[in-house]
Amino acid sequence: MRDIPLSRAAPLAAALLALALAPLLAGAFHLRFLAEILLLGTAVMSLDLLVGLGGLVTLGHAALFGTAAYAAAIAALHLGGNLFLVLGAGTGAALLMAALMGVAIMRSSHLFLLILTLLLGQVAWEVAFHWREVTGGADGLRGLPPLSLGPWRLDGPRALFLLSGGLALAAYLLARSFADAPIGRALVGAREQPLRMSALGYSIPRIRFRAMLAAGGIAGAAGSLYPFLNLYVGPQSVHWSLSATMIIMLVIGGVGSLWGAFLGSAIYLALQTYVSAYTDRWQLFVGLVFVLIVLLLPRGLAGGLTGGLAGSLAGVLSRRGRP
Amino acid sequence: MDRLHRRKNLRTGNSAPPSAPHLAPGRRLVLGGIAATLAGLPPARPTLAQTTLAQPSLPQPALVQARPVRIGMITSLSGPFTALGESMRAGMQLLLAQSGHRLAGRPVEFLVEDDLARSEEGARKARKLIGQDRVDLLCGVISSGVALALRDVVTEARTPTFLLGSANDLARGAASPFIVRPTKTNWMLGTTAARWAHEKLSGARVLTVGSDYAAGREYIGDFAATYQQLGGRLGRQLWTPLGSADFGPLLTTIAAERPEAVYGFFAGSDAVRFLRQWKEYRLAGRVPLFGAGAFFDQEDVLPAVGDAALGALGTFHQSPTAPASAAFNQAYMATGKPLPGEFSTTGYVCGQVIRATLERADGDLADWAKACGALFSAPVETAFGTMPFDPRNGQAILDIHVNEVRRGEDGRMVNTVLHTYEKLRDPGPDA
Repeated sequence: MRDIPLSRAAPLAAALLALALAPLLAGAFHLRFLAEILLLGTAVMSLDLLVGLGGLVTLGHAALFGTAAYAAAIAALHLGGNLFLVLGAGTGAALLMAALMGVAIMRSSHLFLLILTLLLGQVAWEVAFHWREVTGGADGLRGLPPLSLGPWRLDGPRALFLLSGGLALAAYLLARSFADAPIGRALVGAREQPLRMSALGYSIPRIRFRAMLAAGGIAGAAGSLYPFLNLYVGPQSVHWSLSATMIIMLVIGGVGSLWGAFLGSAIYLALQTYVSAYTDRWQLFVGLVFVLIVLLLPRGLAGGLTGGLAGSLAGVLSRRGRP
Repeated sequence: MDRLHRRKNLRTGNSAPPSAPHLAPGRRLVLGGIAATLAGLPPARPTLAQTTLAQPSLPQPALVQARPVRIGMITSLSGPFTALGESMRAGMQLLLAQSGHRLAGRPVEFLVEDDLARSEEGARKARKLIGQDRVDLLCGVISSGVALALRDVVTEARTPTFLLGSANDLARGAASPFIVRPTKTNWMLGTTAARWAHEKLSGARVLTVGSDYAAGREYIGDFAATYQQLGGRLGRQLWTPLGSADFGPLLTTIAAERPEAVYGFFAGSDAVRFLRQWKEYRLAGRVPLFGAGAFFDQEDVLPAVGDAALGALGTFHQSPTAPASAAFNQAYMATGKPLPGEFSTTGYVCGQVIRATLERADGDLADWAKACGALFSAPVETAFGTMPFDPRNGQAILDIHVNEVRRGEDGRMVNTVLHTYEKLRDPGPDA
């Protein structure tokens, strides 16, 4: 057993403390809102495994997330809302989808990867939108039973928040260990030096496939709880525009940091929820924040917070000083 | 400009000092603080909590009188239904302005939230209005998907809601004791179109064409079912995806089929493009065209298509030439708007029904079952006509007009009432 360094233990303890304190302080709406941030944040974090570590920018992540959401909702409608059943059904469906996507993308990169994932995502959306008997079509699925664990019903905002928090934490630790494991290092290597990695005997398609599976599994776990926040799932959760939103969240939070994903989804959703109450042009604010962050904090808020803030500001200033 | 003021306190009667015992100011501040730290934004509305803190508390009866009634509206102010959402809000705002921003003696605070025509957004905004802004009642919604997603949210929160989507399921499986539906269901329009076609076309072979999404499927499906039941013959059923730009192949198919009549449903920009191309392909005036709902909407479609829809027939619960709508037409056009269409009228009618509910309950919705009973006990006079409610599902029972698009006195196209099917009641739980 190696020791966990303090620099890593402290944020973890802070996160645990926040998870424990929030249910005592926040009201029902805010707890549910935080749960939504945590679930979407988990999905965005799994996207970070692909984008941040592997340089694989995909527009198909919502297909993984949404497939899991539909599978979980359908399982719950027919078999009841047992937590493990729902998680299993959702994650399993997302893994299948990820395997499909992994096979499709493992030999492509850059623009072709983007297009392939976009098209696969559109296929998933078409199925969700048109297979009315199973998915409810444009109306989505309503009237899901609440989540349950043995005798307990997990439908209150507090239970949903703790569940999402637990899932987010577990997913973070899993993603962290994936990133630190040889496979994670190999993924970074495949991004930076694909030729050298191949020469060293690594199979790049295999690395990519596994990364896709890992990301799909995590996104699927988050997606399978998502319908139970509102007891509803609709085709928007599979649409590629959600994938694009996830990428924006990731860039705002910080590509490659993993935990920045939660920050990014919190900021995006807060902007969307609070600014849109004041102006119809809230997307302008999202755009401004996005542009400012890309210009001033290329490593996102996470990069900025971990000491880079002063440095990057100084960098911008000194660059401006140059002729 | 108006948007900047949207969140402003619309209360006008300042005579009685406001007090809000329904808020826990300390907790709100703590919450706001947490939200602010998490979100990096200023607390949502600290001023309200602070001002109420400073007010001395009043005796109970005066409180009930003075406490403003908070109405939350969820509508689409971005996304595909932006124009419709703005019309709906304008209709509601007109009613509030006419009422002096007081309903049943209580000042009104009107909050509007944008659902982006997405179910998840709508559900989150509803929870925000209920949980954070503590609205007394909710109203609005354009997209039926959003309406269906809200059903469980408002039922669980026990918030009285005047829900405006039109999916049939809203009056059937998704009906709820907390939901009142002061608008039509798709079935009402599809089935009356079939009855009209049966009476006037005597069983002619009708080809159907529609946008392939939930509402389109219901408008066409209910028409086809009723028409066949009455003994009419159906031709081909054609579908196009939502948001089609080119109807050329479709119109060529229709021309080749030589149907005796075409029944269709498109909405918004799809309707505009279809009707323009209907004329360009010289089908206008040759093949009788009829439809349902917003296909020939007075405000959103007809001004954009010239005379392409001239002579077309549509079944609709709204018509600017219906006598009940006359006063509203005047008032709406006095605000610089065109002749009203479905969504401005719906927003206005929703306000009229909310006003009637509050007045019959003496401004107090605490006992919702009682307030609801009072609303259902007698019809409400609205711009859609006299509106009774079906107590089984809270669904309005509506007069459905058959409108013909005619040239008005000043040359513009006007939906003119030809016939009215009175008191149409959705089968509701029986369906």
